[in-house]
Amino acid sequence: MSLRELLRRPRCPGVPSALWRTRLRPPPAPRRSLFSGSPTHWNQVVSEAEKIVGYPTSFMSLRCLLSDELSNIAMQVRKLVGTRHPLLNTARRLVHDSRHNLQMRGLVVLLISKAAGPSSTAALSLKHDMVSGIYPSQRSLAEITELIHTAFLVHRGIVNLSELNSSDGPLKDMQFGNKIAILSGDFLLANACTGLAQLQNTKVVELVSSALIDLVQGIYCENSTSAEENCITDDIGISTWKEQIFLSHSALLAKSCQAAMELAKHDTEVQDMAFQYGKHMSMSHKINSDLQPFIRGKCGGSIAFNLNSAPVVLHQEFLGREMWIKQIREAHEKGSLNYSKLQEAILAGKGVTSAIDLCRYHGNKALEALECFPPSEARSALENIVYAVTRFP
Amino acid sequence: MASLGWRWRRCCSWRAASGCPRLGALRNPPEGQGWPAPARPATGSWGQMLHFSLVRCLVSCPNRHSISRFHHTTQAVGCYSETQSGEKYTDPFKLGRRDLTDLYEDIKKELLVSTTELKEMCEYYFDGRGKAFRPIVVVLMARACNVHHNNCRDMQASQRTIALIAEMIHTASLVHDDIIDDASSRRGKDTVNQIWGEKKAVLAGDFILSAASVALARIGNTTIISVLTQVIEDLVRGEFLQLGSKENENERFAHYIEKTFKKTASLLANSCKAVSILGCPDPVVHEIAYQYGKNVGIAFQLIDDVLDFTSCTDQLGKPTASDLKLGLATGPVLFACEQFPEMNAMIMRRFSLPGDVERARQYVLQSEGVQQTTYLAQQYCHKAIREISKLRPSPERDALIQLTEIVLTRDK
Repeated sequence: MSLRELLRRPRCPGVPSALWRTRLRPPPAPRRSLFSGSPTHWNQVVSEAEKIVGYPTSFMSLRCLLSDELSNIAMQVRKLVGTRHPLLNTARRLVHDSRHNLQMRGLVVLLISKAAGPSSTAALSLKHDMVSGIYPSQRSLAEITELIHTAFLVHRGIVNLSELNSSDGPLKDMQFGNKIAILSGDFLLANACTGLAQLQNTKVVELVSSALIDLVQGIYCENSTSAEENCITDDIGISTWKEQIFLSHSALLAKSCQAAMELAKHDTEVQDMAFQYGKHMSMSHKINSDLQPFIRGKCGGSIAFNLNSAPVVLHQEFLGREMWIKQIREAHEKGSLNYSKLQEAILAGKGVTSAIDLCRYHGNKALEALECFPPSEARSALENIVYAVTRFP
Repeated sequence: MASLGWRWRRCCSWRAASGCPRLGALRNPPEGQGWPAPARPATGSWGQMLHFSLVRCLVSCPNRHSISRFHHTTQAVGCYSETQSGEKYTDPFKLGRRDLTDLYEDIKKELLVSTTELKEMCEYYFDGRGKAFRPIVVVLMARACNVHHNNCRDMQASQRTIALIAEMIHTASLVHDDIIDDASSRRGKDTVNQIWGEKKAVLAGDFILSAASVALARIGNTTIISVLTQVIEDLVRGEFLQLGSKENENERFAHYIEKTFKKTASLLANSCKAVSILGCPDPVVHEIAYQYGKNVGIAFQLIDDVLDFTSCTDQLGKPTASDLKLGLATGPVLFACEQFPEMNAMIMRRFSLPGDVERARQYVLQSEGVQQTTYLAQQYCHKAIREISKLRPSPERDALIQLTEIVLTRDK
């Protein structure tokens, strides 16, 4: 299947999403998701939210999907099938995760736009352009947010050619994969820039561009450690971890939510609350996904988990770095890390429970920020998203 | 050596710029028709084919008239074509640099990075060793437009920022291009990807572009944002054009010129346009600035493609015949292919067989490809001069005229 086909999700404009994803119909098979504590619950929340913002959130504008460049990318990606370049996985995730996460950012931007409504100072003529209580410019912004997020997913998948070994397959394939990954990421970014320029609002351009800077710095921190050091948790405390995660996971959504308020000419106070919601909600979302291996893992056997995830960093902070490194060394067996052994060690400590507390702390902060908006369906949907990511079995 | 080449090109210019019945079309090219690569991509293939045959006609034209006739025509187009006395031999680079003394320091101020290594990577190419060709054109254009508009001898801060942004966008694209081409050296030093690896290098490029975007937004003018965003889009589309090759010879040439416009000339064209918008409200002036940038930009890249064959590694700071090694058929190759049709097969397989690169290089050097490409570059420069001559005279305008000559005669 080509990327173009892959990207074209099985919904078409005009058909309410509820028709093909109704909450009455149980999912056909237990679908794995980041929120597998209750995948149906998450799907319900998203499905309800999508109904509120009007027509289905078909991001990655049609203009972008139908362009020559994208069909070119699809053709090139097909050549990568059979190689071990990470771009293939990214392309796959674009499809399979799309219902759970990929459009989450755009959806939140739309919901918060609707929750805030038109500002009292907005011209009456502008209100006529609203569809389901959302300005067209805010819809574009939601789309731009998704484009940026996807562009960086693609750029995250570049590989270092000098660190390859024989198991990665021919160098030529990896070179080609890098080439296509850069081009397609740049293509998505360029589309985002064009969309931004069309919003005709210099404050919004500045805000979203600064989110790009944050994102780059955040991703840089993610992979600044070399492959060798990768087998050990970074020497950071939870506050540094939070700063880095803000850059890599929260800044884009926070600033997009703020920009959505600017587009509707809301005052700085409302803008700040929207920023706070985006920031804290994505923070608790990230911690929730970090916690999954420790919640699911009990029944699912050994799963490799990120040694720089919230529970692990907290565990290291409680235990002290030296003790933690000792535990990691002890879990090394025949050159590879025994993750289930490591998991047991972490579950025995306070890392997991404090991570759950932290997740709820940010969830509460997000709910507090919502109090400045009048009660509405859209506001409830934003609350439900928070409830979904802060609910643990 | 260089001056000899220049004289040859001059000869070539008057030899070709005469006699040919269709030459009128070139002297006063109808926009979007005979002249390649318009601002927006939608040119009909008909127009592009016309251009190709025009070029072919020009380069094979017999020698009949003299140089004076050509220059006469050039002058007739401009309304302020006489140069100011005493300013004729101004060194454009010297004049432009007066406004750019702290160019690289100021760019570094825009790159606010917390992580030291990322900072080092982002600043790596802003070491003052580059030619700063783009910023120089931009500040000269800004001053030329300001004088034209109301005899203003100052430059606005926002116009200077455009010069910074142009250099930043250019550098960001270099960083990504080097990963795409798997290049290991540039400007006589190792590339970013060579030193820090591809994973980090891609982020450095993204960072520089994002910083440029913030600086652009802070100018606070939505039109300027749109004009320079066009560049970012063109850069990516140009890179995509480079991925594909055309079988049809006529299409192939148009494809090459379009790619050249998008990858190189769009940046100059649109940043010239941006400073003209900031300096002067007249849309006619915006178009002059745009056309100057576009034509000089295409000429600049054509010469770059020539130098890839004629220069040595020491002069360029990067390996020669690099385009062939990447499988790309540039101007000199496409012209050589006219003379040696056996090159067609090599072009189609992107010089992938052992020995292809060296054989193609020999064909090019034996053919008229280098001269013909240089000649084409010269035509673009003439068009640029015709455009900029419509502005009121100023030292900066004359420097921009002079600059076209430097573009043609540079050897690195």
